Amino acid sequence: MLRVRLTEKDGRIETVKISGDFFLIPEDSLAKLEKMLEDTRLDEKELKLLVDRFFRGTNAQGLGVSSDDFVKAILSTKRA
Amino acid sequence: MVETWRLVDLEYRDDPFRNMSVEEAIPRAVGEGNAPNTVRFWHNSNTIVLGCFQSADLEVNFDACKASGTEIVRRFTGGGAVYHDAGNLNYAISLKKGHPLVPGNDLQLVFQKLSEGTVEGLKSLGVNAEFQPINDIQVDGKKVSGAAGSIRWGTIFHHGCILVASDLAILGRVLNVPRLKLADRHVASVQKRVTTIRDELQKDITTRDVRDAIVRGVEKVYNVRLVEGQLSKSEEAKAKELYDTKYSSTKWNLEQ
Repeated sequence: MLRVRLTEKDGRIETVKISGDFFLIPEDSLAKLEKMLEDTRLDEKELKLLVDRFFRGTNAQGLGVSSDDFVKAILSTKRA
Repeated sequence: MVETWRLVDLEYRDDPFRNMSVEEAIPRAVGEGNAPNTVRFWHNSNTIVLGCFQSADLEVNFDACKASGTEIVRRFTGGGAVYHDAGNLNYAISLKKGHPLVPGNDLQLVFQKLSEGTVEGLKSLGVNAEFQPINDIQVDGKKVSGAAGSIRWGTIFHHGCILVASDLAILGRVLNVPRLKLADRHVASVQKRVTTIRDELQKDITTRDVRDAIVRGVEKVYNVRLVEGQLSKSEEAKAKELYDTKYSSTKWNLEQ
């Protein structure tokens, strides 16, 4: 299960912290993803592009979690 | 020629922080070429072990932990929180990256291949164990072991805990559960989905018996010989450094 805590400003992510019971290697790549997400618009297309770019660019490998899971979890904070 | 792996039975039952320091020092040394491929067995008493990406605030019932004297330690691998007690046997396998058993960089394959020795060991005891992706070993649909792992420091690393004779009831008290699943109902549901080796065999079995069976299972499945050994001086020094700078700190264990 993915849990996301974020602060937003004018529809953009200011800070984001992702936690959960997933596997992601290399483990320190999660901090990179959180950093990349800063200042990104809370928009499905934009988030999807960024998370996909993260996986391609870092060769990170998720298990029990996909690119779409990250996007969905981030967007769910918007509706809450 | 049969490959030889080191067998390490090093544990600090009442110091989960020191246990986890050793857990990290070994794969680091294996990857650096300073230690042979290694299988380690160990126990914790009364401890929650969090996955490296989990939030302690969200997962842990701190009041219940305080009342029951349960310690909380974070591991360096992902996955979910587990509860350890003396009825729970932990095992860890560290292989130098590139080992033909697990070629490439596929974490799912690590879990599958490096669970096989444990599955074989449990089967030899009469338990109908099978690997269940992503990272479980199940008996007739009930989880009896969960694993976590990583590929880092030049090492393929896999560790798991086996419920031999654990107290399943405490799980629902020390770990947070959604409000809808009140404690008793949660415990009931956990007990339905989870089992122990003792319950499956309907007899008293020790974690030592299970450890011995897994040693034989590992030797058979991977065609290796496990030879008892100890940590090197440099591994001991690394474990101490990891304890001092990481695993004894509240920042690492709770503030992620």
